[in-house]
Amino acid sequence: MRRADRIAGAALLALAVAFSAGALTHYSYWGPNGPGPAFLPFWLGVVMALLAATLLVGALRSSDPGAPWLPRGEPLKRLAAVLGATTALVALLNVVGMVLGTALFLIVLMRFLDRTPWPLTLAVAVATAGLNFLVFTRWLRVPMPVSVFGF
Amino acid sequence: MDFISNLALGFSVALTPFNLMMAAAGVTIGILIGALPGVGPPSGVALLLPLTFGMDPTSGIIMLAALYAGTMYGGTITSVLINTPGESASVVTCLDGHQMALQGRAGPALGIAAIGSFVAGTVGVVLLMLVSPALARWSLSFGPPETFALMLLGLTTVTLLTGDNPVKGYISMVFGLMLAMVGFDIISGDARYAFGIPEMMDGIDFLPVAIGLFGLGEVLAGAEAPKGHAVVHGRYGLRDLLPSARDWARSRWAIVRGTFMGFCVGTLPGAGPTIATFMSYALEKKVSKHPQEFGHGAIEGVAGPESANNAAATGAMVPMLTLGIPGSATTAIMLGGLMMWGLRPGPLLFEKNPGFVWGLIASQYIANVMLLILSTVFIPLFVRALRVPYAILMPIVIIFCITGAYSLKNNVWDVGQMLVFGVLGYAMKKLGYSPAALVLALVLGPLAERALRQSLIISDAGLGIFFMRPIAAVLTVAALAAVVVPAVRAGLAALRRRVVVNEASVADKTTRG
Repeated sequence: MRRADRIAGAALLALAVAFSAGALTHYSYWGPNGPGPAFLPFWLGVVMALLAATLLVGALRSSDPGAPWLPRGEPLKRLAAVLGATTALVALLNVVGMVLGTALFLIVLMRFLDRTPWPLTLAVAVATAGLNFLVFTRWLRVPMPVSVFGF
Repeated sequence: MDFISNLALGFSVALTPFNLMMAAAGVTIGILIGALPGVGPPSGVALLLPLTFGMDPTSGIIMLAALYAGTMYGGTITSVLINTPGESASVVTCLDGHQMALQGRAGPALGIAAIGSFVAGTVGVVLLMLVSPALARWSLSFGPPETFALMLLGLTTVTLLTGDNPVKGYISMVFGLMLAMVGFDIISGDARYAFGIPEMMDGIDFLPVAIGLFGLGEVLAGAEAPKGHAVVHGRYGLRDLLPSARDWARSRWAIVRGTFMGFCVGTLPGAGPTIATFMSYALEKKVSKHPQEFGHGAIEGVAGPESANNAAATGAMVPMLTLGIPGSATTAIMLGGLMMWGLRPGPLLFEKNPGFVWGLIASQYIANVMLLILSTVFIPLFVRALRVPYAILMPIVIIFCITGAYSLKNNVWDVGQMLVFGVLGYAMKKLGYSPAALVLALVLGPLAERALRQSLIISDAGLGIFFMRPIAAVLTVAALAAVVVPAVRAGLAALRRRVVVNEASVADKTTRG
């Protein structure tokens, strides 16, 4: 936690400085009849810089390393698997389409991460994909991404 | 008498078959969502919001408000049966509710919570109906300085109350405001911080952010360690749910106290149902003749807080509808929904869209009746839903997050944004930041900026305008107090620690010397 606070504090401080500086260089601070588009962003950057500095100084002076915030071992593997599968689905949404993507995603996570029995896995995958199609594509008429196979 | 005609108008809107169906669907889904550990009211509302885009706004808000009431009860089921609160407003219910379940009294615990929720919800709507129009009329006189001061107060109190660490809470809030600056500036037309990306020029939509932070973020946190949970078995027939005469005598006044306190706390900006439950529990323990029973299955410890959270959920509608200032993360997302439907929450809503406001109020009465019926007759069904393993639930919720984010504008960009904020939400939760403050700031940011700039344009004393008009001054001072008080307290604590350390080292030296 202490290390995470140091990194977050430093990153937020840098962001805040860039945010304020960006506001002043690109937009006008004060217009003809009042505050311009740079006014609030500039001050938000200043306030954020103060807050980030407080966090950073506190974490630098702290002698307690605190509990680790990221899991290790098996839980970390599970977290990575879920996040990886989700990222893959989002990245490939326009290739696999929503219906096929949903089914594949459910099969991967339920069967290969949690060893759900095959019949239950397939039933849930098909039902979810079907329901998703009926509600969003048919009922709400959302043009969901379709796969290269056209569904 | 326009009060009665307004209510009649409301019921004529709420009683259409479609709206009745939406209220029923909202309550049912709400109970289910509330019962799922890790998926709380804000994620429920964020995930369901896309479903309402195709509807009339009135039907949409009816469903969301019914859902909000449902989640308050759903969280109770898990608290009592598996000692895991489904959402934060049911945390205190674990203390006595689960003890009651272990003693074989799960039925009365759930029963008294259902009755308390019904009473509190219904009384809450009556109060909502009486208070809101007056408040709306009063706030019609608000100019930009009052509006800005009110938003500032809402932001600082939410930040103060939702996080454990004030510095991290304020970082979350300011970060949310910074995100709100992205995109076209309404006054000058500059595309701020867009880096030439067309999707960024329109600004960062709050919906993918909310779905990411609350939906995906929570799921990721739960994905680490799939917990098998032990459901306390019991009988949940109608007769098993009925509290005994003794239970009833003990909880009657707890329900009344919980209702009124919950409603009042709910209307305050920043204090939501969760705070109301803690206050109600503390109050019940204090007034009880047998405080030693608290924590060991005292029924008042369930009745009071469970009434308080439903009353507070209704109370939280007051500032959202009349002032346009949400009191919690959930109402912030609802407010975002109202704006997406093209409605401008605030005093004018009551004059311009009476069908919408009164339809919502009337539907709350109906939702409470439905909640009572569903939560007593269908309890066995909801208990069974608790046994659905996380392995099945988790991927389905993720699919919901993706579909919801996509259907906002039918593009994958928003889905990617949802994913980024999902990871951020996970980290924020783990590191003690406040996602609620971020979302609230993102929703209020553009409105607050406009109010601030308009105030400074009409002001001839710069920022002094926020201290020279009486209402604005009171609100500004209150908002600043929410920042200064924790800072001073932290400073004093640090000072005291240093003094203690110095004394210790002095004592150390003297003993050694």
